[in-house]
Amino acid sequence: MGQPKSAVIRSDLDIVIARTMARDMARTLGFSAIDQARIATAVSELARNIYLYAGTGTVTCREVEKHGRKGIEIVCEDQGPGIPDIDLVMQDGYTTSRGMGMGLPGAKRLMDDFSIQSQVGVGTKIVLRKWRS
Amino acid sequence: MALLPVQALILTGPARQLPQHVQRPCAREDRVESLRIPILKIGDILIASIQVNLHDASAVQFKDDLLQKIHDTRAKGVIIDLTALDLVDSFIGRLVADIAAMAGLMGSRVVITGLQPAVAITLVELGLELPRVITALNLEKGLSVLQRLTAESGDGAA
Ligand SMILES: Nc1ncnc2c1ncn2[C@@H]1O[C@H](COP(=O)(O)OP(=O)(O)OP(=O)(O)O)[C@@H](O)[C@H]1O
Ligand SMILES: [Mg+2]
Repeated sequence: MGQPKSAVIRSDLDIVIARTMARDMARTLGFSAIDQARIATAVSELARNIYLYAGTGTVTCREVEKHGRKGIEIVCEDQGPGIPDIDLVMQDGYTTSRGMGMGLPGAKRLMDDFSIQSQVGVGTKIVLRKWRS
Repeated sequence: MALLPVQALILTGPARQLPQHVQRPCAREDRVESLRIPILKIGDILIASIQVNLHDASAVQFKDDLLQKIHDTRAKGVIIDLTALDLVDSFIGRLVADIAAMAGLMGSRVVITGLQPAVAITLVELGLELPRVITALNLEKGLSVLQRLTAESGDGAA
């Protein structure tokens, strides 16, 4: 398995770097063009959330395998303000920043696995996975 | 790895209200130049083709430039060609919808052309169907859609 790759998110340029990194790894792992776009779009959403709401954080991509199936795992982590009500932010259209409130629920739809852990005052960790068909 | 164009960005106003703790990036500002998406004028139509892996600040710059150009040229129609984009996330999606709405207020119609299949699929799965944005398969079809639209609006003969 290849090495994990990380990007630090500090600016809107880093959002582009993170999603390009995820797309490149997805391509290397043999994902279809459409899956590459899904993965890159999900990463773009979560990296932007880090930039907007936490200021800084990291995005790490790695290859994973389960029952002989290959996939990509992406961990988006920050030590920002945390999310008080996860059910609420997972609803389509919920936003605190005049966004469209589509980033989190949209990223979940684009990926196969989506889990979110968050604690107010501590930070947020979101793990995404997509399995190769 | 041709990740970012050598020219980076001008940091314009934030796209939306940023929380206080978000620092605008400064480390890169010293090697910052303008990255501007060219906007061409043909008759009373403007055409812009987005060719770069857009980051947020340059996307906002493009919106401002385009609206100014619509105003200056009194263009009746605008085509934004996205053939080269391999991704449209919620930020770019919203920006495109905003541009269409704002141009509409200024009496100009916007047509988006060239969305790749993968981009169209992810947009819908993301939840952004952009129902009020007019799209066409390619530039040529976009032009004929615009010609029809501007003719219908009654001032096409001017
Ligand atoms: N990493 C994070 N830390 C703290 N709060 C977050 C984080 N990510 C998301 N949130 C909160 O969850 C809300 C919903 O996020 P989501 O990405 O779904 O929508 P949005 O960012 O508001 O708009 P959009 O992504 O459509 O532009 C945000 O408005 C914000 O309040
Ligand atoms: Mg978001």
